[in-house]
Amino acid sequence: MSGLTFRLKAAPDERVDVSELTPRRLAAISQGEIERIVVGSSKRQLKVGDVFAIGGRPGDSVTFESGSARLDFIGARLEEGTVIVDGDAGDYAGREMSGGRLDIRGDAGAFLASGLKGGVVTVKGSAGNLVGAQRAGDKFGMAGGIVVIEGHAGDRVGDRMRRGTILVRGSCGAIAGTRMLGGTIWTDQGFGANPGLLMRRGTLIGPSVEKLLATFVDTGKHDLVILRVLSRYLVATLGPLAPRPIAGPVRKYAGDLSTIGKGELLIAA
Amino acid sequence: MKVNGITIDDTFAEAFGMSGTGVIITADSPRWARQAAITMSGYGTSVIGCGAEVGIDRELKPEETPDGRPGVRVLLFGFSPDALAPQLKNRVGQCVLTSPGSACYAGVDAKKRIGLGQGPRYFGDGFQTAKILGKNRYWRVPVMDGEFVVEETSGVVTDAVGGGNVLILGNERAGLLTAAEAAVAAIGDVPDVITPFPGGIVRSGSKVGSKYKGMVASTNDAFCPTLRGRVKSELGPDTVAVLEIVIDGLSSKAVADAMKAALKSLIEVGPSKGVTRISAGNYGGKLGQHHYHLRELLP
Repeated sequence: MSGLTFRLKAAPDERVDVSELTPRRLAAISQGEIERIVVGSSKRQLKVGDVFAIGGRPGDSVTFESGSARLDFIGARLEEGTVIVDGDAGDYAGREMSGGRLDIRGDAGAFLASGLKGGVVTVKGSAGNLVGAQRAGDKFGMAGGIVVIEGHAGDRVGDRMRRGTILVRGSCGAIAGTRMLGGTIWTDQGFGANPGLLMRRGTLIGPSVEKLLATFVDTGKHDLVILRVLSRYLVATLGPLAPRPIAGPVRKYAGDLSTIGKGELLIAA
Repeated sequence: MKVNGITIDDTFAEAFGMSGTGVIITADSPRWARQAAITMSGYGTSVIGCGAEVGIDRELKPEETPDGRPGVRVLLFGFSPDALAPQLKNRVGQCVLTSPGSACYAGVDAKKRIGLGQGPRYFGDGFQTAKILGKNRYWRVPVMDGEFVVEETSGVVTDAVGGGNVLILGNERAGLLTAAEAAVAAIGDVPDVITPFPGGIVRSGSKVGSKYKGMVASTNDAFCPTLRGRVKSELGPDTVAVLEIVIDGLSSKAVADAMKAALKSLIEVGPSKGVTRISAGNYGGKLGQHHYHLRELLP
């Protein structure tokens, strides 16, 4: 795998928008042009060359050799290839990605994979609030692809999410799956309070829930074939990153009954 | 020519281009996957009278199915994708949706798709939900034993072949049936083919046309032993019965492989069961695009 590398010259003193730094976009321009791309968010108009030392050659990957919680929009609108962050990522990492792979080897900020349409996003650490969520002005949140967070996720995971899968090895914060329209959120360590608030469709899977909304109804224990299909699909797609299949029946809570109530919260029984 | 004492006619099977699709049916046990598959394959012998030719390709191990349960692959053949679509919808809706514990997935991977769960999903009366995993959409239809999971579409190929065949002639009716059964079992090991007639065997081979208006096909009198002497018979004096195996396949190669497997089995098993001659059905080579010459398929 060949590609350009970006190393921070110093910790950024303002938020930096690196959405232009994806393999496909950089392959089409010279290094001089890359260095002149504006990435700053203040009137100083910081450029790539001011913030990063560039190495390597254009290829099918882009690597941020040092991360920072101030690097926003890493891998945004990525269509193909790989973006690697050897550290933390800021907000909106993987925003509106439609293909390829984003590997964050530290923590991610808020709005990770917001509006994701395809591809795979992995986070070695934890992610902030609103993973896969709708951003103000969007019609929907995440609409496809897979997100794997090996740590914990913050509040409102999957807000207005429509399709795709979010896997959280740790726990999800409060009100996961708010206003969800479809897709799957799977946590290995459980949901915080009130998951599925105003959820219309979609699936929340986990071993426990801190507090259940009154508008979710217990439909009993079930051995669901779709969970087998989902598990096998994830194993085929993610390999060792896939969650361990659930053995035996799950308790299904249907909701949110304050909307059309076609969503479900599945608690491994 | 004679092989192992059996006369092999210097002739060919004439087969036709068809469209083919398939499904994978799973259930809690192999027995119930097979039950749903058998039910779905019913009344699916000849495209002329049944709308589609349907049969079981093979049983699938749990690791081969989308949900990790035991399964069966069923193939359907028809004149066109448009002709197959209602057959698939009705057969899945009436025979698979209704079978305890069943689920149904695409059984052919092809770019062109026809509806699989698109119709049966409405049985859910608004309670059905869908889950998209990768490029595939799965419908979950609430039913009385849980949920019926059915994939939205299945692939369809338009270069399938229908009507590959072998005619088995012999001097002992019971033995002939045993030899034909063994040949059908041998075809069972060939992927992507079905033998749509009862138990894979036809005893009423047909010719094109009839003396009666409106009959598109009628008995193959030249191969009927009781008409020997009355018509221009194809049968020698020692032949007491003829059985035919009809083969449909997703590709021409699959049909040829199936015919090879059948011939090999017949040549091995046949002599002790009264098989005296092997022939094939054709229409003079003018109707079907695919010709399978027996002598080229001998083991």
